[in-house]
Amino acid sequence: MTVRVLALLALLAALAACARREPAATASAKPAAPLPDDLPSDLSAKTFATAEALAKEGAALFTQNCATCHMADGGGVPYLQPSIKGSAGISNPDPQLFLSLILRGSAVLDEGAKAYENDMAPQDHLSDTEIAAVATYVRQRFAAQPITKPVTPADVAIARARPGLPP
Amino acid sequence: MPKLPVLLASLLFATSARAVLPIPDADNGGLILPPGFHALVVADKLKPLRGMTVAPNGDIYVKTREAGIYGLRDTDGDGRADLVKEFGSGGGTGIALRGEWLYHSTDDHVFRYKLTPGELVPAGPPERIVRDLPNRHQHSAKVFAFGADGQLYVGTGSPSNAYGGKKDRALGATGEDPTEFLKTYGGYWRYDPGKLEQTQADGYHFSTGHRHSTTIALNPVSQQLFIAIHGRDQLSTVAPQFYNDDDNAENPAEVFHVLTDGANFGWPFTYYDPRRHLRLLNPEFGGDGKKLAEPGKFPEPLIAFPAHMSPMQLAFYTGTQFPAKYLNGAFLAFQGSWNRAPKPQKGYQVVFIPFNAQNMPTGDYETFADNFAGKKVIASPGDATHRPHGVAVGPDGSLYISDFQAGRVWRIIYTDQ
Ligand code: HEC
Repeated sequence: MTVRVLALLALLAALAACARREPAATASAKPAAPLPDDLPSDLSAKTFATAEALAKEGAALFTQNCATCHMADGGGVPYLQPSIKGSAGISNPDPQLFLSLILRGSAVLDEGAKAYENDMAPQDHLSDTEIAAVATYVRQRFAAQPITKPVTPADVAIARARPGLPP
Repeated sequence: MPKLPVLLASLLFATSARAVLPIPDADNGGLILPPGFHALVVADKLKPLRGMTVAPNGDIYVKTREAGIYGLRDTDGDGRADLVKEFGSGGGTGIALRGEWLYHSTDDHVFRYKLTPGELVPAGPPERIVRDLPNRHQHSAKVFAFGADGQLYVGTGSPSNAYGGKKDRALGATGEDPTEFLKTYGGYWRYDPGKLEQTQADGYHFSTGHRHSTTIALNPVSQQLFIAIHGRDQLSTVAPQFYNDDDNAENPAEVFHVLTDGANFGWPFTYYDPRRHLRLLNPEFGGDGKKLAEPGKFPEPLIAFPAHMSPMQLAFYTGTQFPAKYLNGAFLAFQGSWNRAPKPQKGYQVVFIPFNAQNMPTGDYETFADNFAGKKVIASPGDATHRPHGVAVGPDGSLYISDFQAGRVWRIIYTDQ
């Protein structure tokens, strides 16, 4: 890795740290406004009693990291990015396949399994808790039958440790 | 038997030079057009449509994204296609007529069919002119045009956003050296249109440094090729510390250029800001929303269109049916954006590009056909009723438009009324 790349990474890390603030009392506020000020703060220290609570944090993460491609309503863009409404990947009670996709993007899919023109970028810049939050939100909102069981940071850690798709 | 409106039309306009024009639809097929222009729906609810071309006898050929080619013929003169035949397979985008040959491209190959005079559908199988072009799904459409030299100029897009490595399109994407990549992607290549089974290695690498161009056409007067290029996406995803939602919605320009031998259009290092008229460094390559590209290194765009509108087919207007100002100007279909969210989407229209006495664009353009989306505020492409993709000029100077969303084909006519 070159010095320039290292410096850039350090800069990004510093900026990311700046963006992370203590959670404001937003629980009853309107859905989070766009970036950068309203990005959810670092979730790793927080625990969530219910899937609803976790999903609330996930909504803003969805807007910032997923909606740009899958659109705010999850409807996708014809031929470029799929609709995720009722998608098999997220409707499966076992979240491992979905988590692999979030972490590594469409690079985990076999060439033959790719049905869309665009690539899904890996979202591994998100922490385990952030991914748990966004996955919980997406499963609640877009699964064929809303899945209320939260995805946990431990689930994400398993997916992160595994190189490819679940067996 | 001719339909009643046709009889009426021929009675009413029997002595008029415009008697050959069909009766337009009362609602202009849902389009909003300049005064004096009208539209009719030639065909509807076909598969999602891409590039289009019209033969001297008025037969229309239009590509589908995933399936064959439609041949559309109006046999009774009412302007509506009553013969709709699909032939071939493989989907794709590019299509053009040259003499007795109908050329078309899938995302991998360029083919041609021999047409039989009077027959809508070619009798035999296609010949393969160029085979096995690089295709990694993203930006895979292979558009083409014939140059002044009669040669075939075929585009090969870059399967990438801004060559940001594994994190391309994600937070913190970091540019990699594109030298090798650009030897096979992101340019136009020239081929012999009469030679079979050529590969990219047989072609002449004509231009480089573009992300994806799905727009190429020959100016009928100057005989120069003009192209448009789709600008990069997701500035605010990749580098939110430098770009907010508004910066992302309005950057970068969809650019319009003349295609010259050896041209380099500056991707992936740079992008063009259409509001400030400046070329900047991409954040993947050290940009911060302010750092300018090295001056003079890459050509200034002839037109900087608003971001993300998605320029598809370009057609020079060579007819005399429309008012004189349109002659030798060009129509360009914008399929419409997705990456302006959370701001409303833009595009979903066909624009007219005036060319000056030197046969160059003036830098301006005007909306010609609008309301394809069927609504004023478009949140997502899926909400649009139609998305214009193909444009082609017919033998009588009518303009035809194809629809990527709901498979409609319109014909635009001018009646001065
Ligand atoms: C850069 C654009 C992009 C971003 C950002 C993105 N995706 Fe994707 N996503 C895609 C594409 C493209 C595919 C389809 C891959 C394929 O099948 O070829 C996809 C596939 C999926 C699928 C599978 C859909 C199915 O057909 O079953 C799910 C679920 C999904 N994405 C969820 C997400 C979530 C959640 C996020 C945010 C954490 C996200 N995506 C971010 C582009 C993106």
